[in-house]
Amino acid sequence: MSTQSPTPDAAQQQRLARARDALQGVQARWGVTREAQQAPAVLPLSEGVAEVMPAGLTRGHVVRVQGSTSLMLALAAEGSKEGSWAAVIGMPAVGAVAAARRGMDLSRLVLVPQPGAQAAAAAGACVDGMDLILLGANLALSDGDRRRLAARAKERGCVILTSGRWPGAQTDLHVERTRWSGLGAGGGRLRKSEMTVAVTGRRQSGVRRVRVVLDRDDAWVSSSASATVREGAA
Amino acid sequence: MTAPVHAGSGAVSTTRRMVLWVPDWPVVAAMREAGLSPDVPAAVLHGRGITAVSAAARAAGVKRGSTKRVAQRLCPDLALLPYDEGRDSRTFESVAAAAEDVVAGVEISRPGLLMIPANGAARFHGSEEALAEALVGSVAQLSEHECLVGAADGLLAAVMAARSSVLVPPGQSQEFLARAGVQVLTLAAMERRQREAVENLVGVLTRLGIQTLAEFTALPLGDVLARFGQVGRWAHRVALGEDVRPPVLRRSEEDIAVSFEFEEPAQRVEQLAFVAEHVATQLDAALLEGGVRCGRVNISARTEHGDVLERVWRTDVGARSGAFAKHMTDRVRWQLEGWLSGTATGPEPAPICALTVTAQDVVALGDEQAYLWGGTSGADARAQRTVERMQSLLGADSVLSVREQGGRAPRDRMLTLPWGQEARTARKVEHPWPGRIPDPAPATVLPIAEPMEVLDAGGTPVSVGRRLTMSAPPTWVRLQAEPGKGPVAAARRHPASGHVGASPTWGQARPVEAWAGPWPVVERWWSEDSSRRAYVQITVRAEDEGSDLAVLAAFSEGQWWLEAVYD
Repeated sequence: MSTQSPTPDAAQQQRLARARDALQGVQARWGVTREAQQAPAVLPLSEGVAEVMPAGLTRGHVVRVQGSTSLMLALAAEGSKEGSWAAVIGMPAVGAVAAARRGMDLSRLVLVPQPGAQAAAAAGACVDGMDLILLGANLALSDGDRRRLAARAKERGCVILTSGRWPGAQTDLHVERTRWSGLGAGGGRLRKSEMTVAVTGRRQSGVRRVRVVLDRDDAWVSSSASATVREGAA
Repeated sequence: MTAPVHAGSGAVSTTRRMVLWVPDWPVVAAMREAGLSPDVPAAVLHGRGITAVSAAARAAGVKRGSTKRVAQRLCPDLALLPYDEGRDSRTFESVAAAAEDVVAGVEISRPGLLMIPANGAARFHGSEEALAEALVGSVAQLSEHECLVGAADGLLAAVMAARSSVLVPPGQSQEFLARAGVQVLTLAAMERRQREAVENLVGVLTRLGIQTLAEFTALPLGDVLARFGQVGRWAHRVALGEDVRPPVLRRSEEDIAVSFEFEEPAQRVEQLAFVAEHVATQLDAALLEGGVRCGRVNISARTEHGDVLERVWRTDVGARSGAFAKHMTDRVRWQLEGWLSGTATGPEPAPICALTVTAQDVVALGDEQAYLWGGTSGADARAQRTVERMQSLLGADSVLSVREQGGRAPRDRMLTLPWGQEARTARKVEHPWPGRIPDPAPATVLPIAEPMEVLDAGGTPVSVGRRLTMSAPPTWVRLQAEPGKGPVAAARRHPASGHVGASPTWGQARPVEAWAGPWPVVERWWSEDSSRRAYVQITVRAEDEGSDLAVLAAFSEGQWWLEAVYD
């Protein structure tokens, strides 16, 4: 554990740094400081959606995703592939095949389709034990429950992705526009969806709009780079 | 234990083994099951060719590999029996059990062929001759099958010795092999795929003019490897009389099971809590006594009506050695509660008369397989605990694990099970599934399809004919209004508005942007749950300007159903 240090001075420095770390951890945990000082751990994002949140999926944050289940799954995918456990609560209609295609590991995915009145308890249990939680739109959660869950998620380093209402979410993703291509009048099949996602955040002024392309079938479409469109304050 | 025998250039230790061979096992097993007498000419037919032939049929000229027509011409009263690998291995159990009466450990190399390490057993019985005699006698007496026994060093020599029923003296196996033709190499291949590869190899060798094993082994190993790859290398080693791997012995063990008979059938959940704990503790004690742990637990119960209910649950081997009894108590209790209350899918709820808990996948303590990269991680253990906590909160059936399985429609392609329960059957993903709805997979798959309306330009519902003709191109789509939104709320507020009973409240008709289909999926026409549908992918313009909503709709029995949404 302790490495042989060249001088007693260096050893002292090391111990001091360790003590500071411990103190900071305790302070963050008991809410003396609002956020831990050290750089927060981040779950990785897969390539297609990395531009939506360039900093990655920060542990302990709540991200609200409106208007697209695919986007939620795509955000969760890379983390799940890297070994995180994920729970899907209150989304009885989530497509497991789509989740697997986006890259989620189904062996580390737990579904709770109908938590009913126990939604807060189930979500609380998941916050303690899982890394990623996907919450559906129609859950029996009060605003107090949401606050408590968010606080616990911050403490435990768990990411909450929710499609329902969530006052105080760190990031708000709203899919404003979806265009599908590949279908014709009676022929073809769905091949590519293009979404315009409006990103608003607590730490950021104005709206940033990002184009996301999902399900691109390269065999058919000539590749086009997704572009970021910056717009002024809305 | 085993004396190393020097063979070829390098010193390789080979095991002295005795092989017990029942000739023509597939056909012998099939005849026994069909109740035919042994002198009836019979053959096992698989696909296009004959795979095994009985002695009487062989005398009539029927050969392995010949076609059904040729075989029947040679021997008109030939009994053709179906091919069934399961039957072969199942019935061979009796032979293995008979052999285990004589020796302690046997390896079933394939149905029809048993391998026994000979040294220890021969010492015990006095000599190899005595051991062979005991084996033949025991198999004939207990399982009533004729068998041949031979012994030699190394795999191929032993198999060949058994076929000619000789005991090759130690150290002479290489000479014994040298005279044999290259086609005997196929005898050492135990699996079908491996046998095919070896048959190819033998074919090439024969065409190259290499007829005997001595000629084959005279080739330099490097050249053989370069020309034939891994199969060649394997064949070279086997032909030299070397062993590729030592025999893997199986140990026959009784199932560890705990039963409980209720004095009077249990009807209430409270009666079960104590029984569950009792049974779980007993099972834990029995496992501990045997010095084993188990990977799966089978819970089965008999109801008053005589139905037998069965479920298999996975347990975490090793990770929770101390908590096993408590963990099992919960599992058994949840399962019984489910059966009693009838919430679990299955037959109608009935009082339970008897309960049996059986340990499966039994491994000796300390032999558990950990993950490739070390044991279970902390995060995995934490997540498992979380799942268990949720199961105790919500009930075992509300926390699900999900798997992909084969199927055509999006809903058929996922298999959800209560977390921890073993799946009985899953349709294989690798199978071709022609007519499958093409990718991308929809992110929202409705658990139960909702009615929807697909209308043509004039507002009449579109229909799909038996020959997959659409009555008109779809122009408008009406989905059900979301509950809580405008139209539904209005209808609920004013019963006079025409909304009666549970009939759906329709949202606004939306214009169709593009569509594709219809794609017919006609499944299981022979069974009760047959389905005949035509799927259509439609994109409709959403309320907000310029946005699409892509849906998968199905037409069946004169009605359109919303199956999935690509959102």
